[in-house]
Amino acid sequence: MSTQQEEEKLHATNHYLYYPDEEGIPPYLAYGFRPVFLLLAPYLILSMVLWGFVWSGTINIPFMDNVIVWHVYEMLFGILPAGVMAFLTTGLPELFPGMIPFVGKRLKYVMLLWIAGRISFWFIDITGVYIAAILNLAMLAWLIWFAKDVVLDKLQRHASIGYALVALFGIESWFFASMAGFASTDPMAILRVALGAIVILILLAMRRVNMEAVNELMEDKGIDDIYISRPPLTNLAIFSVALFTVVEFFYPDNSALGWIGIATGAAVLAITSDYNLKDKFILNQPYVIYLYLIYIMMALGYALMGWDILLGEPYDINSFRHFITAGGLGLAYLMVMVTIGWIHTGRHLTSNIYTHLMVFFIVLATFMRGLIPFFEEYSMQLYFWSAIVWTLPFVLFIKVFYRFLLEPRADGIKG
Amino acid sequence: MKFFLKILKDFPAYLWSGWGAIASILLFIALWDVGNQVYGNLVLPSPLETFKTLYAMLHSQEVWEQIDITLYRASVGFGLSLLFGSILGLIAGFFATASMMSRPVVTILVGMPPIAWIVLAMIWFGMGDETVIFTVIVASFPIIFVGALQGTRTLDGDLKEMADSFHFPWHMKFMDVYFPHIFSYIFPAWVSGLGMAWKIVIMAELLATSDGMGAELAIARSQLDTPTALALVTIMIGSLMFIEYIILEPIKREVESWRS
Repeated sequence: MSTQQEEEKLHATNHYLYYPDEEGIPPYLAYGFRPVFLLLAPYLILSMVLWGFVWSGTINIPFMDNVIVWHVYEMLFGILPAGVMAFLTTGLPELFPGMIPFVGKRLKYVMLLWIAGRISFWFIDITGVYIAAILNLAMLAWLIWFAKDVVLDKLQRHASIGYALVALFGIESWFFASMAGFASTDPMAILRVALGAIVILILLAMRRVNMEAVNELMEDKGIDDIYISRPPLTNLAIFSVALFTVVEFFYPDNSALGWIGIATGAAVLAITSDYNLKDKFILNQPYVIYLYLIYIMMALGYALMGWDILLGEPYDINSFRHFITAGGLGLAYLMVMVTIGWIHTGRHLTSNIYTHLMVFFIVLATFMRGLIPFFEEYSMQLYFWSAIVWTLPFVLFIKVFYRFLLEPRADGIKG
Repeated sequence: MKFFLKILKDFPAYLWSGWGAIASILLFIALWDVGNQVYGNLVLPSPLETFKTLYAMLHSQEVWEQIDITLYRASVGFGLSLLFGSILGLIAGFFATASMMSRPVVTILVGMPPIAWIVLAMIWFGMGDETVIFTVIVASFPIIFVGALQGTRTLDGDLKEMADSFHFPWHMKFMDVYFPHIFSYIFPAWVSGLGMAWKIVIMAELLATSDGMGAELAIARSQLDTPTALALVTIMIGSLMFIEYIILEPIKREVESWRS
């Protein structure tokens, strides 16, 4: 065995210490992220198309007479568990090397639970809000159960991620309570709180993903420097996001919220200053640019929302919020899919025309959707085409990554 | 030359690292906005209104004239302090007797409240440029003097001896042994002296003159024009922050980098 191969193997086995000895695990269930990505990419495309039909009235799903609320719900809470699941089942064995990867039959059952949650959502007018609530909350509860070691870890190194998930479970329960008539809070306001919590979760996760991905990239390219994502900057951003979320819940039109929004934008942008390394210049590396754009999108969203509140035109605010959702969240999910899709199928983190295009389409779609207030006369076309453009990256994902996900790891390691 | 190229090279990254600071300033402005909502427009105008007033002010020729006047007084006062404070401090630092003698005098100068100096200056020079400039000098001179004095006092004797025994030419001795050390003391003193000068010039103008930004502030006060007052304060803080964080701080970092 050549030394290079040996090195690669060592690096990959770093990802877990033991692999379960279950017999006959098919490749698509060989690691947590595999079935998630196989399902998430087509689901994102399919659901966008379905939303297109719902909005244009081609198909008629009344969604308990509250289409917008349920649209926001599904884009936040429908997709979140899939993304979190891929992140946790792949990341935790790496952060806690004693942990055994979650694969095989048990993985299949959890995925079926997620699928059942999606079906219960699209048929909510027939099956009712309770079944949707039980299935979807069960999925999130399972994720928290799965991540319990993170919270109980004596050193509390990654406990914040666990707490964020618990908070999201509370918020989702609150949402369903409101939809079922047990709570009088406006469901849309609850979903705005949920978005804040999800952004915080993503900022926490991004700090870890960044350290992992950027340093791996530099090692790969022989760039001799170290990237450290400093906690104080992430914490400042998290504090600002939390403040914005709380103030928006209680005082959505207050001018102070406008300043907090702009401040939040600046605080999120501040995290990017970590990419300016002491000695080496890495802002020309494609993956650094991709990850950078997540922060730019979120920062733009918060700053534009703040600006909008200061000007006192609250109508535009939900368009600007799409910089956070379609842009920031969309790109964060895509980056999780792409980086894990390369590295954990035994390949090098590679950038090519496909990865460039994926990121480009998300950014393009976000600008098309987010800037509608400035191009009111084209709003119908922009609503439609931004949705279409937003699905293209996931079409490309299927084209590039499906074969990796359906085959064993390229380096012959299990997983 | 290399020194300035290094500063220029690091400047964009330095500037970008300021987003965190901007975020905390904006959060402070949000708090200010809450204060406005609690106490009303007369007591504390809203940030937005203040910035609108500021915007209007910066488009008026008259305001720029006042800024010019203040800038002139501050820079003359600070420039003189810088020149004499540095030279005298350096000289005093080289002689143990001189530094021993100058200490108590500096303590007197620093200990005397600037407001008392203004009263004296008004009696001596009347209402005008001289009073303001004098007060600025009296306030910022001791800071620079002490910085320069410390710089020369703390020179490493061993390094001096080494430079002597290797027979360094005088310019090398100065540029490579003395200068980096002294500069790392004197430069921060300049920065704090400048901050002091900028604050004192406004105070002196407010009490002793009929023109300049301080006087504008006095007028705003007498007319209960809080937005204008706050806009003036914003100009003062903004200009000080610009000079300190955009111009001086990058130089200071570079100068002090040898210490770490």
